[in-house]
Amino acid sequence: MKNKTLLAAALFLFAAVLPLIVTEFWVHVLTEILILGLFAASFNMIFGYMGQLSFGHAAYYGVGAYTTGLLMVKANVPLLVCLPLSMLSAGLCAAVLGYFCVKLRGIYFAILTMAFGQLVYYIIFQWYSFTGGDNGLQGIVPPEFLGKAANPYYFFTLIVVAIGMTALWIISESPFGYTMRAIRDNAERTEFIGINVQRYMHLNFIIAAVFAGLAGALWGPFNRSVAPDLTNWQHSGMPVFMTVMGGPFSFLGPLVGSTIYTLLMAFVTSFTEYWPLVSGVIIILVVLLMPGGFLGLLNEKFPFLMQKLSGAKETDEQGRQEP
Amino acid sequence: MNDADATLLEISGLSKSFGKYSVLADVNYRLRKGEIAAIIGPNGAGKTTFFNLITGYHRVDSGTVRFQGRDITNWPRHRIARAGISRAFQVSNIYPRLTTYENVRQAILAQEKKTLDIITRAGGLAKQDTLELLKLTGLLSNRDTVAGILSQGDKKKLELALALAGKPEMLLLDEPTAGMSSEETHETMEMVKRLNAQIGLTILFTEHDISVIFGYARKLSVLYQGTLIAEGTPEEVRKNEEAQRCYLGEEV
Repeated sequence: MKNKTLLAAALFLFAAVLPLIVTEFWVHVLTEILILGLFAASFNMIFGYMGQLSFGHAAYYGVGAYTTGLLMVKANVPLLVCLPLSMLSAGLCAAVLGYFCVKLRGIYFAILTMAFGQLVYYIIFQWYSFTGGDNGLQGIVPPEFLGKAANPYYFFTLIVVAIGMTALWIISESPFGYTMRAIRDNAERTEFIGINVQRYMHLNFIIAAVFAGLAGALWGPFNRSVAPDLTNWQHSGMPVFMTVMGGPFSFLGPLVGSTIYTLLMAFVTSFTEYWPLVSGVIIILVVLLMPGGFLGLLNEKFPFLMQKLSGAKETDEQGRQEP
Repeated sequence: MNDADATLLEISGLSKSFGKYSVLADVNYRLRKGEIAAIIGPNGAGKTTFFNLITGYHRVDSGTVRFQGRDITNWPRHRIARAGISRAFQVSNIYPRLTTYENVRQAILAQEKKTLDIITRAGGLAKQDTLELLKLTGLLSNRDTVAGILSQGDKKKLELALALAGKPEMLLLDEPTAGMSSEETHETMEMVKRLNAQIGLTILFTEHDISVIFGYARKLSVLYQGTLIAEGTPEEVRKNEEAQRCYLGEEV
């Protein structure tokens, strides 16, 4: 536990110092890493912890982005008020759609989440009078106190993402979080110890969507606009790629994946437009060569280091000695 | 005590078929509180299906299951578990990627209704109860082992621990000692017997091991091709001709 708190503090400090060293372009990239990292971490609550593949998680990210975008553009609502409202709207959306998804498992779960994601996409895409259709929403500017430079919004994002990640971390280590692992490992047994598996999966689906909504809410002011593409299935694939790349079985895996993916994308697109080709090759290599993702590979090659960092052996403190 | 004679489980007219295959036909069964009873019969007789119907694993075609006076027929599995029926599976059904400790803690937290808590660190909860149950089931030395790599016998012990964690009124054990050494078998059954004596836990088990059946059960029921053909004390069943012909004759 101590190690993990230290690691988190070190990461936060590192992230806080970075923009003072790098150029503005890279500050934008860093902001993107954080937002997408939170998005991927929220996705991993369903994938890594609950053991189901959601291929429509961008719907909740997009609902969060549009909630903030619409409130800011049409009603001049302050960003700080928009963030919780985006979480709420994404959560409500997941409460309705997730109700049906959690009745299914495996490939059927994946397909239904994807179908609902596309449904959200088409609604946003078609509803010109409200969402601006395929034009999206323009002119979403960060609040005045953050100014126009890249750094202030980066710091704002860092704080919000840190709060979001901490909340997800606490949930993942709670009895509820362990119930998710139990459902992932053996849903049937979990029913026989007296847990209403479907209801718990539904709750977790909503929690994951709430934090996807928070990540989405940060995107609009960062990009100065939102577009319906944020909700479609290609965008749902991003947290999948990132999580698989970083390692779905570690809490920080999705963030690591987001870092690798976003850095590579920024790097590669600076001299070729064939980023999808490159990312495709990378995905194939990751899946073939390191099925546990980047952190899984580290764990395999340097188990000692990873144990220290992730506290994998932390079960020691559960009873071996009183604190 | 009056209570001790009370009927805990009452099953009437229970039937189940899969497609055109009838697995259980019109089974009537009563179990008193505090009993240790066994269901015996050859493979395919319907013993596991019988358990599956009681615990809600399969839907009942017809008939009723009453537990503590309540009709629990076709209740969802988690509600039946909450009502006080725990079950250990024939093939161990555990959480392979959690440690032994985490496995047991999970079942205890479920019993204590703490699993909706999203704020408290699970690591600090239910320590005492978890350690006690690990000790009781002889798993203490394996507490930090990932359950998926436990030996077959230890998995069965963990299976039993998960069932016990639910603090059940009635414990269903489906071949509890399959895969265990004879020493482990003895230890496990002695523990079950102790629990029965100490806290009055009602136990219903299936078993193939004749020494376990006649050593521990106080009531035997013989299931053969989906129907109950004999019932009584071990002595009565041993003398029952039909039971001998259908099942015991093969092995005694």
